[in-house]
Amino acid sequence: MHRVSEMRQDRPAGLDGSALKGPFPVGEYAAALRGKLRGFRRVQVFGEVSNFGKSAKAVYFELRDVNGALPCSMWRSDYDRLGIDLENGSEVVLGGGCDFYPGSATSSPSFTFRATDMRVAGEGELLAQIERLRRKLGAEGLFEPQKALPRPSLPRTLGVVTGEGGKARHDVLAGLRRRGWEGRLVWAFVPVQDRRAAPLIARALGDLVATADVDAIVVARGGGSVVDLMAFSDETLCRTVALLPVPVIASVGHHTDRTLIDDVAAVSCSTPTHAAETAVRVHCGEARTALLAHAHRLRGCGHRAVIERARRLSDLTRAPAEHVARQRALLHQKLRELRAAGRRGVDERRGASGSQLTTLSRRADALGLRYGRAAAAVPAGAADLQRVCTSALARRARELERLTLALSAHDPDRTLKRGYALVADADGEMVTSAAKAREAGKVSMRFHDDSVHARVEEETR
Amino acid sequence: MSTPERSYETASARIEEIIKRLDSGEAGLRETLELVREGRELVELCAGELEAVGKGLEELRLDELVAHLEGPHAP
Repeated sequence: MHRVSEMRQDRPAGLDGSALKGPFPVGEYAAALRGKLRGFRRVQVFGEVSNFGKSAKAVYFELRDVNGALPCSMWRSDYDRLGIDLENGSEVVLGGGCDFYPGSATSSPSFTFRATDMRVAGEGELLAQIERLRRKLGAEGLFEPQKALPRPSLPRTLGVVTGEGGKARHDVLAGLRRRGWEGRLVWAFVPVQDRRAAPLIARALGDLVATADVDAIVVARGGGSVVDLMAFSDETLCRTVALLPVPVIASVGHHTDRTLIDDVAAVSCSTPTHAAETAVRVHCGEARTALLAHAHRLRGCGHRAVIERARRLSDLTRAPAEHVARQRALLHQKLRELRAAGRRGVDERRGASGSQLTTLSRRADALGLRYGRAAAAVPAGAADLQRVCTSALARRARELERLTLALSAHDPDRTLKRGYALVADADGEMVTSAAKAREAGKVSMRFHDDSVHARVEEETR
Repeated sequence: MSTPERSYETASARIEEIIKRLDSGEAGLRETLELVREGRELVELCAGELEAVGKGLEELRLDELVAHLEGPHAP
């Protein structure tokens, strides 16, 4: 660029014969032009983005349609707040006004339509972007890790990422109240719409896990346009959520909206209230009631198990005693019956004996009668008996005398008296032959009056 | 992340099993007493978990929590 040399500050003479005002210093005119252009009514314009470029301070592009174009720019602060990634070809609606940079001694002047707000008019393009990223994350398997995490039904500590002033905050509280949950709730208030939102949400998620010891996290935002919800389709944020070790329950936008965080989160809910109820699946009041009922039933079961069995055991223990008692009663009964039967028997026999006695008495009487008669017959019998005895005695005396005579005839003494002698050896054995006498040598000879000893001597013939 | 919540789920599911078994009337005395003992322990556990989330909502702010942890009194 040509460097402007030391410029003369003196106003030069104007054009000869010209009716125009001036001449004015160009810088002064440029500044006036800027003021004039800035005075134009601020409007909305729409068209297609082309020649898109970025610098540290602003983004630049041309907005054009078939009839013309407008150089446009937007300060980075405004652009980043929107959370939009403009591309060439994007259809946008811009809000803003004309502006003019008057340039300087070293920089070129430029006209621009200074946009302060923007909306992507053709959401199809944004949705296509989201869809492309969805396929990419899905192909990397990033939709699965969160869904594989165990999700407590009764968390003690919940983290909630949401806008501080949004309705979602109250909806989350309403959902938790509905569950009767009164645990520890850690709020992470973040911007939920502009370009800063995604990194701050990702940071809040990391901080919740690292410092708050949360059991589950709810990410909630109310409804909005695709552009409004773009932060929740941010690639970095979605990768952060996918790899988080704590389950994330997402509720972003209305049920028709589908951001990428809905895909990577453990659960996606249609409303923040529903998200809160999903984070706390247990209805605490009902759970307490059910638990009391369980405790009661367990007590009852334990009680019945012991008492009923003890009662049965007691019954079983009593059974033998009762059996014995029954048997005893039975025996007593039998005994009574036996005694009664005995008495009856005795009585009956007594009766029978009485009659027998009578019979016997009669018989005795009869015998007495017969005895009387016999006694009367005794004297005659005695005389007969005396006579029989005397006769028998005489007969037996005669027999005895006859036997005595017979015995006397066989008495050896009578033989000895007739001159015979009995010869016996030293042992008293009868010696009945001469040979035995020779053999004995010495003998005794008994005569009828006495005995003598003799020696057998035999003369030789 | 704490783990007792998972214990609450497994505990409550186990309590249901125990009640079902006891209601069947098939358990003997020894098993019944064992089940009742286990059930009571699980009821205690669940009651503890419910008590932990029943003492009034405690609301904290993450930025304050982080500031506290990163502050001059941070460990």
